Amino acid sequence: MANAHSSDTAHHDDHHDEPAKGIKRWLFATNHKDIGTMYLVFSLIMFFIGGAMAMVIRAELFQPGLQLVDPVFFNQMTTNHALIMIFGAVMPAFVGLANWMIPLQIGAPDMALPRMNNFSFWILPFAFTLLLSTLFVPGGMAAGGWTLYPPLSLQTGDSFPMLIFAIHMMGISSIMGAINVIVTIMNMRAPGMNLLKMPLFTWSWLITAYLLIAVMPVLAGAVTMLLTDHFFKTSFFNAAGGGDPVMFEHIFWFFGHPEVYIMILPAFGIISEILPTFSRKPLFGATSMIYAIASIAFLSFIVWGHHMFADGMPVAAQLFYMMSTMLIAVPTGVKVFNWTATMWRGSLSFEPPMLFAIAFLFLFSIGGFSGLMLAIVPADFQYNQTYFVVAHFHYVLVPGAIFGIMAGVYYWLPKWTGHMYSMGLAKTHFWLSAIFVNVLFFPQHFLGLAGMPRRIPDYAVQFTDWNMVSSIGGFAFGLSQILFAVVIIQCARGGKKATAVVWEGTHPTGLEWTLPSPAPYHSFTTAPEVR
Amino acid sequence: MSADQTVVSGESVRRRIRNGALGLACVAIAFYLGFIALLVFRSHY
Repeated sequence: MANAHSSDTAHHDDHHDEPAKGIKRWLFATNHKDIGTMYLVFSLIMFFIGGAMAMVIRAELFQPGLQLVDPVFFNQMTTNHALIMIFGAVMPAFVGLANWMIPLQIGAPDMALPRMNNFSFWILPFAFTLLLSTLFVPGGMAAGGWTLYPPLSLQTGDSFPMLIFAIHMMGISSIMGAINVIVTIMNMRAPGMNLLKMPLFTWSWLITAYLLIAVMPVLAGAVTMLLTDHFFKTSFFNAAGGGDPVMFEHIFWFFGHPEVYIMILPAFGIISEILPTFSRKPLFGATSMIYAIASIAFLSFIVWGHHMFADGMPVAAQLFYMMSTMLIAVPTGVKVFNWTATMWRGSLSFEPPMLFAIAFLFLFSIGGFSGLMLAIVPADFQYNQTYFVVAHFHYVLVPGAIFGIMAGVYYWLPKWTGHMYSMGLAKTHFWLSAIFVNVLFFPQHFLGLAGMPRRIPDYAVQFTDWNMVSSIGGFAFGLSQILFAVVIIQCARGGKKATAVVWEGTHPTGLEWTLPSPAPYHSFTTAPEVR
Repeated sequence: MSADQTVVSGESVRRRIRNGALGLACVAIAFYLGFIALLVFRSHY
C-alpha cells in the first residue's frame, strides 16, 4: 500500500527532493510535514467554525428569554459545536502535531504509511463538509446533543444519515492515523532509541493511538446500530421493540471516556516537553510519567459509568465507578507533581510556550478537581445536567487540551517555519486567552451549583449576572484567538531567522533540535545514532 | 522491542510495518463487529 522508509531505502526519495508545485503538493502529499501542516490548518479552520457556534450560544445566553435564535437552532449549535470542536479541531490538531513531530523525534524519515496518511487527512474535509451541510437540509442539523442518545437522536430529520456517515468517516480517519502512528513508532525509531529514550510527546501519542484503535470502532458500531434502528426497523435501542436505550449510553461512554483521554494525553506529552526546556532542568520522574500515562489510559476503560450515575444503577456499580474514577487522580497527581518538581528551583523563563504550559498546569488542575467532585455519586445527582458539568469539561478541554495544542504550536512553530514569531503578539494572545478563559468558564461553576441546566436556551432570571459575565468572557476569548491566527500567518510569511535549537539559552532535548530550522523537507534520510 | 531491531533490511521493515498495520486494522474491525454482535446476541435471550 505504501512505502516503508528506512535508512537504507533513502534512494526512494531521490525522485522527490523538492515538494511538488501547486495544489498537487497538497492533494497528493505523502510527506509527513505537508500532511501535518494540512491537519493543523484544517483544525484551525474548524476551531473558528466551532468557535462561531459557541458565540451564537453565548450570545443567546447573554440574558434570559429568547433573543436571537429559536430553541431548536440553539440545540443544533450546542450539538455541532461539540462535534466540530472534538472531532474537527482538537483531534486533528493532535494528529497534525503527531505527523510533524513523531518522525522528527524518533529520527525517522517519514511516517511508515505515507499514502494512508494522505488518505487519513483527505477524508476529513469531506466528513466535515457533509456534517456542516446538514445545516441546509430539512430539519436542520442534529440537535440531540453530541452524545446522540436515542430515542432523542432518532428524531433528527434528514440530516441523520449524513451525520452518521460523517462520524464513520471521522472514525476511519482517526483509526488509520492511529495505525500509522503505532507502526511508525514501533518500526522506525533511530538506532539506539529504545522505548524509554523516546520523548514524552511520542510516548503519549503511542498510548493515545492504542486508545483510538480500541474505542473509535465502538463509536462506529454504536452509530451503525442507531442507523439500523432508524432505517431498518431494528430495535437495538428501541424499548418498544425490546431494545434498551440505556445500552446505547453504556456503549457510547465506553468510547466517550477514553475519548476524553485521547484529547488530553498528547497535551500531557507536549507539556512534558516544554516545562523541562524552559526550566532548564530534566523532566522530573520521566519514567513515572510514562507509567502514569499508561495507567490513566487503562483506567479510562473502566470508568464510563460515572457519566450515567443519574440513570440509576446498582449501588455496587455506583461504588465501583466512583472509586475507579477517583483512582485516576493518583497517576494524574503524579504527573502534576512531577511537572511542578521539574520547575522547582529551575531557571525559569517565560516564553509563550512556557506561559501556556504553566496556565495548563493550573487550569487543567481546576478541571481535574471539579471532575473529582463529579465522581462522587450523591454529589453528581446534584451537579448532573447542570452548568457545573459544562464548566468542568471546558476547563479540561480549553485550558487543558487547547492550551496544550497552543503551547505545542508556539514551541515548534519556529522549527516548522524557520522563523521566530512575534513574542509580543504571542504573549498578548496568551494573557488575553488566560484571563478570558476564566471569565468565560469559572462563573459557569456558580451557575451549575445554583441549578442552571445545560443545553437550554432560556433560563431563570436569577442566573442573569453570571451568564452575562460568562458571555463577555466568551466574546473576548473568541476574539483573542484571531491573534493566534495572526501570529501563525506572520511567522509562516517571514521574520527573524530561527536557529536549529530555536530556544537559545535552553537545552531542549530531542532529535528535532538537531535539525536546522526549518526542518528540511526530507529529514533523517540517514538514521541518526542515539546514545 | 529492542531498538536494534529497527536497523534491519528494508524488506524486513516493510513486512513488519505491513503486518503491524494489518493486525491493528483487524483489531479495529473486531471491536466494531464485536460490539454489534454482542448486542445482536443480547437481543436473543
